[in-house]
Amino acid sequence: MNTAVPTWAGVAASIALVLPAIAVAWHRRLDLARDIAVAAARAGVQLAAVGAILLLVFQHTGVAGAAGCLALMVITAGRVCAGRSAGLPRALPIATTAVAVGSGATLGVLLALGVIAPQARVVIPVGGMVVSGAMQATTLLLVRLRDEARTARPAIEARLALGLPAVEAFAPHLRSTLRTALIPAVDATRTVGLISLPGAMTGLILAGVDPLTAIRYQIVVMYMMLSAAALAALTAAHLAERALFDDVHRLRPLTAGTRG
Amino acid sequence: MDEPFAIAVRTRTCALGRPGADAPPSFALDRVTVRRAGRLLLDGLSAQIPGAACTALVGPSGAGKSTLLRVLNRLAEPTSGEVRFRGTPLPELDVLELRRRVGLVGQQPVLLTDRVLDDLRVGRPDLDEDRAAVLLERTGLPAGMLARATAGLSGGEAQRVCLARALAVGPEVLLLDEPTSALDADSAQAVEYTIRDLVADGLAVVLVSHNVPQARRVADHVLVLRGGRLVASGPADRVDYLRKGT
Ligand SMILES: Nc1ncnc2c1ncn2[C@@H]1O[C@H](COP(=O)(O)OP(=O)(O)OP(=O)(O)O)[C@@H](O)[C@H]1O
Ligand SMILES: [Mg+2]
Repeated sequence: MNTAVPTWAGVAASIALVLPAIAVAWHRRLDLARDIAVAAARAGVQLAAVGAILLLVFQHTGVAGAAGCLALMVITAGRVCAGRSAGLPRALPIATTAVAVGSGATLGVLLALGVIAPQARVVIPVGGMVVSGAMQATTLLLVRLRDEARTARPAIEARLALGLPAVEAFAPHLRSTLRTALIPAVDATRTVGLISLPGAMTGLILAGVDPLTAIRYQIVVMYMMLSAAALAALTAAHLAERALFDDVHRLRPLTAGTRG
Repeated sequence: MDEPFAIAVRTRTCALGRPGADAPPSFALDRVTVRRAGRLLLDGLSAQIPGAACTALVGPSGAGKSTLLRVLNRLAEPTSGEVRFRGTPLPELDVLELRRRVGLVGQQPVLLTDRVLDDLRVGRPDLDEDRAAVLLERTGLPAGMLARATAGLSGGEAQRVCLARALAVGPEVLLLDEPTSALDADSAQAVEYTIRDLVADGLAVVLVSHNVPQARRVADHVLVLRGGRLVASGPADRVDYLRKGT
């Protein structure tokens, strides 16, 4: 089975693939040669470190270590989302909570129903997928919501001025933003297998598992990604809505922030 | 609450009366300051806004007129100072009820739905078509416009739809931020008549206007703002800013 996995010598040989990219960038003065080299080196180092850490966790810490890894992922994801949605009040706690709720609930259900085994070597990679799905949806939602609150301020305030409560004044904007944030997850689910073979399935097939077994995993993965995205986006929307308005139904001024 | 609907367009003679001079003030402001980003938008403003009369709020661009209207229906909060509505400090009133009693029509007309009738219903979901038609006519628009798509409206039509939308809620006080800035003389006059009608019905109207002849025609009382401060106030026929004309 392991004959399908590249040896370290194979990995070293694959560096040859990066060289032409650097050469082209340098020759065409794209100002990217350095970036490509650094990115490639960085990817190698990062993955080696992750591999080593995972090995340690699998062998020595068990499920507690897995939980720690997941917490770290959620915190990192929260920071990434918050960085993108700068300018939104309380972006960091909102993003972190949304990712935590979306991933936590999804993983919890998978574990409770016995769909996945409560082992570090299962929970960490599956959790990673769930967290990144939740992160994507949360980022998209918060960025769009912030921009919507900025550009649609006159319409929102016109509704508030008519005596509508904040939730109602913001509802049309929240609805369209939620839709937008969930479209990538929905599209990915709809076209799965048609455009590209998804990661989990690819991995299993490469590792020698037969395709009909591999798709079972992939189906679970698709559903859990959908759930993580939806729950995270809903949580983020709910919390952001409360952060955007004060207790006398006024849209707060949004501080200047970098465009995400 | 149903009162404003019952009145059809009135004649000018009736509107010419200047009632409300003895009614208690609708708003009383005491040293109201609004500071945003280190700038004073309102600077220790003390003033009274009569009840059941039309008050013109005039002053150069950037004087703080729109800011003052936003303070009155709590879209903006004073940094310091106190605003009372019919004797009660604003923070003690339910803000949603306050905004229904104190309608604000913003400087830029913003339409909120796809169809004119739906727009009139935003603040009043149970508004029936007949009442909606009456409201439109009060602002000088034909009733047939109810079925029109909001996307195709001209700036002046949009302004009047926004006015009708605020009237639909049945406010006691109407804050109008340059409601005729995009209107021709005839349409502006229709809105001026409407304002006088509303005042005759007992509403207090605060009218921000850059148009001094208009302020002189419509207002009973004038507040002149400059740099966030009150520089003059009094009956319309006695305030210099209006008498000089421009
Ligand atoms: N949120 C804000 N932050 C900082 N400054 C603001 C803000 N809102 C308004 N201002 C400034 O406050 C001043 C008063 O604004 P306001 O809109 O009340 O003026 P105005 O009298 O209505 O002017 P105009 O006649 O042009 O409509 C202006 O100089 C404006 O640039
Ligand atoms: Mg203004």
